Amino acid sequence: MRRPASTNGIAPAARRPLKIFASDPLLGRTFGNRARIDVVNETIEPGPVGARLEVIDYDSAQKCFYQPVDLNLPAILLQGGLEPSEADPRFHQQMVYAVAMRTLENFDRALGRVIQLGSSNRRRSGGFPRLRLFPHAFYGANAFYSPSLNAVLFGYFRAEADDVGGNLPGQTVFTCLSHDVIAHEMTHAIVDRLRPLFMEPSNPDVLAFHEGFADIIALLQHFSFQDILKEQLQRTRLDIRSPTILVQLAQQFGFATGGGKALRSALDTPGTRLSDAIAEPHQRGSILVAAVFDGFFKTYQRRINDLIRIATGGTGTLPQGDLHPDLVNRVAAEASRTAQRVLDMCIRAFDYMPPVDVTFGDFLRAMITADYELVPQDEFDCRGAMIEAFRMRGIFPAGVGSLAEESLLWENVENRLPPLDSGAASLIGKAFVKAMQAFDTTWERATSSSGADDPTQFSSADAGEDFEVDVNHDLAAELHAYAYANAAALGLSLAPERKIQVRGFHPVFRVAPNGRLLIELVAQFAQVDNATNDALGGVPFRGGCTLVASSDGRCRYLISKPMIDSADPRSAALARARHAQQAAFVQACDLRDAMTPYRAAARQANRMRELMDFANLHGG
Amino acid sequence: MATTKKAAKKATTGGAAKKTGPRRRPTSRREISVRMYDVGFGDAFLLQIPDGNAVRRVLFDCGSIEASAAGGPMKGCVERIVRDVTDPDGVARIDVVVATHRHRDHVSGFDNAAWADVEVKEVWMPWTEHPTDKEARRIRELQSKVATGLSAALAAAPPAAGAAAAAEREVARGIVANALVLNNAEAMKTLHGGFSGRPERRFLPVKEAGSRLLQTPALPGVKIHVLGPSRDPAVIRDMDPPKGESYLRLLAAAAGSDGASASLPPFAHEFVADSISASWTFTSTDPEQIAQAGSLSDLAVAVALDKAVNGTSLMLLLEVGGSYLLFPGDAQWGTWLNVLDDAEWRPLLERVSFYKIGHHGSHNATPRRFVADLLPRGCCAMASTLVRTIWPDIPKSGLLTALLDKSTTVARSDEPAGAPQSFRVSPGVIEARVPF
Repeated sequence: MRRPASTNGIAPAARRPLKIFASDPLLGRTFGNRARIDVVNETIEPGPVGARLEVIDYDSAQKCFYQPVDLNLPAILLQGGLEPSEADPRFHQQMVYAVAMRTLENFDRALGRVIQLGSSNRRRSGGFPRLRLFPHAFYGANAFYSPSLNAVLFGYFRAEADDVGGNLPGQTVFTCLSHDVIAHEMTHAIVDRLRPLFMEPSNPDVLAFHEGFADIIALLQHFSFQDILKEQLQRTRLDIRSPTILVQLAQQFGFATGGGKALRSALDTPGTRLSDAIAEPHQRGSILVAAVFDGFFKTYQRRINDLIRIATGGTGTLPQGDLHPDLVNRVAAEASRTAQRVLDMCIRAFDYMPPVDVTFGDFLRAMITADYELVPQDEFDCRGAMIEAFRMRGIFPAGVGSLAEESLLWENVENRLPPLDSGAASLIGKAFVKAMQAFDTTWERATSSSGADDPTQFSSADAGEDFEVDVNHDLAAELHAYAYANAAALGLSLAPERKIQVRGFHPVFRVAPNGRLLIELVAQFAQVDNATNDALGGVPFRGGCTLVASSDGRCRYLISKPMIDSADPRSAALARARHAQQAAFVQACDLRDAMTPYRAAARQANRMRELMDFANLHGG
Repeated sequence: MATTKKAAKKATTGGAAKKTGPRRRPTSRREISVRMYDVGFGDAFLLQIPDGNAVRRVLFDCGSIEASAAGGPMKGCVERIVRDVTDPDGVARIDVVVATHRHRDHVSGFDNAAWADVEVKEVWMPWTEHPTDKEARRIRELQSKVATGLSAALAAAPPAAGAAAAAEREVARGIVANALVLNNAEAMKTLHGGFSGRPERRFLPVKEAGSRLLQTPALPGVKIHVLGPSRDPAVIRDMDPPKGESYLRLLAAAAGSDGASASLPPFAHEFVADSISASWTFTSTDPEQIAQAGSLSDLAVAVALDKAVNGTSLMLLLEVGGSYLLFPGDAQWGTWLNVLDDAEWRPLLERVSFYKIGHHGSHNATPRRFVADLLPRGCCAMASTLVRTIWPDIPKSGLLTALLDKSTTVARSDEPAGAPQSFRVSPGVIEARVPF
């Protein structure tokens, strides 16, 4: 992303202020709902079109375009962005852009790298340079991310006649004016970049993770809106678990579609536990949301205990009437900080996740490991709170002896795997430089195909794979050689028909709270077994691993999903169990799927692939 | 049918006070008779439960969407049933009429005028048929709106391109025809207000506590476990068709002329741009793809609707003495799951001695878990079904095989010749005897 050049010797602003609805138009002029947020001040053109996002206001119901907003107009700049308005599509464009950027920046910062949203390495998409956002794509109560269009499509619709809550009956509801909907769909798009294979339903958790994680991001971002946060803290007397807009998702949408309440909530019914019976991805995902929120809430309570003691002279009993604004301000700051910490923790987990077949348990382990690496001393025991919250909901990682923090860390493989060799080490240096450049303000996206920096076809030549690999060719070759040499230890197969794909590689920079710069390398390998596709409804059995190494090439963590024909007998046994689980999952889906008896035979073989569609997932 | 039937009829004298004495052994042998009428693709099951010298009759459904060659048209089936429940005094009597759900293949027969003279004590329907219950009305209205819209949309649709698309549309048409309220209006009228004898209407499970078990003077000695449909909001959600783009399109189609209002421009005209902004990556195929991306196929919506209505199915487990007879209607996954996970009901399912195979033997109306883990060996099962060219996967042969593997005796209405010895087969009827 390129910053605008300075003019007349005055440095350009680092951030661009923009206005949004903090929740959605349902709250209207409620204090705090008109929030001002800022995003990085990149060069933008009317749309807005930036380096990674472009807002295209095409309406397929009306078959027309709407005027794009030019956020660089002095009139708009002077007022810090257009005022919230339902009637002006240009405000809609601004809000979609602002919230999408905010979400994207949260990922950039937490992961320490710039996430690219183009689709040039995606074979079934038209090679779009940016993620496209269509604020009024169609008429319908739905919004979804479409990988093939490399776009997020937002619908608009009329509220139903009865029980529309604060909406007017028949009022037009725009999904693109809901912070939660935008953040949720953006997260889908980003997760699909980080782990493209998480679209394949190979176990009940995979799609549920996609949904739950998207809700987690939307939810935790609520706590960055100070005005609304303070108001709600005052009103709920610091109990953020009260059913307020802070813990509810997509209120307007929920009411407008006749649900009589917000679409989803961060709170679960006490005693809800994960079971096979909870299968619908949003419903299953909401257990994950509730667990993370619970962990967040416990940590928040620990962090504000001292403030409450000070404010109440040690009694802990808040006085009658309004709380002191100073107390509310301080508590709000703690709530924001805790939310940001949990948000970062969740996002960072991605570097420690397997490339395929994720489960909620994997997510917990990844989150704990990532956070442990960055913040060994966990002052408020945020990790402990998380573990407890997951335990209470019956989310148990497979294959761990206990739920103590040490046993949840991924397996340390320093003594089991040889270090990456010197060839790789020197290439790693190059990759570092490239990654550094991505953060440089003068760096511009390379749009041309120039030499070795290109995404390569390396070892991803398997027919039917949607993705090409996004790593430097030479490095990919080195990593491939390493994986080949250590296949058994990595749980990979050496069968000639199973290529080892290098699915991704990136260096990670992070600053630990103590100021220490932490550098890690994360490489992902994957393999596919297409022999049983028919039995598995068209979704192949995949294996692979994520390897985390330190900057000197020492391998530290291995997150493995082994292959059946791995040379290591223990891995092979785990893989067989995983294959059996996938088959059982297909059966369970068939039973739930009302389409089963009516589907034509030709579509039967690919029925699991049909689930890989956010449009349907979000309710057609 | 001729001789045996007549004898049976005489034996099953309705009036409890009558001391005519059984003329046929079965009643005295404490056997429940379950008769499956060959209605084609549909359900009609008549239970006769001996009660002292009397016999109690329960009719589960009476409907069909496609007659079979052997069974003949629905009218004949209804006449046959009415004849079978007519007592020697010439009055047709049924103690309880159960309409599991409002699909045509389960209720169409009730549009026959003959029912006006049948004396019925009680009519049971799922709670979603309750005339005044707010949630029930909401669900019904939603389902009927979608059905009407989908029907209109399918009628107006241009000819399908290609054989596969045409076949798919036929499947969808079939499903919608089954759900269309208009088609079933007369039948529902009978169920809600017809029959003689001023029957009491029950909408099950009732809202009040104790709704899981029903006992009624109409069926003395019979405990009725009401397994579904649940009133749990999580299960109810399955009764709602998805409300995405297609849904709104269909609502517009249902509303007819009102459809125009749906496509009112969302913004004032001055905001409409004439051309594409230069920096957009917008390809010529985008408009078409965007318009397509959000909409489900008509088939998918039809199936969602089918599932929604099947989800309202009344699922009953009749406990007579030591026997358990399971009638799941066309209950689907949501209801089944609720039952299989219920600590009290689960053990009861392990004792089932008669099972009416759900949804005409389709794959997702009988959970594998139920067959493999719970259904006891030697159970008797019946499937009322017909192989229709448009729905070749109903019944699912794998399911029937699984049942047979459990040494369950299975009879299919469309293959009377294949019914095991233990069933009594006469033209148009297969009868099972379940001791209790």
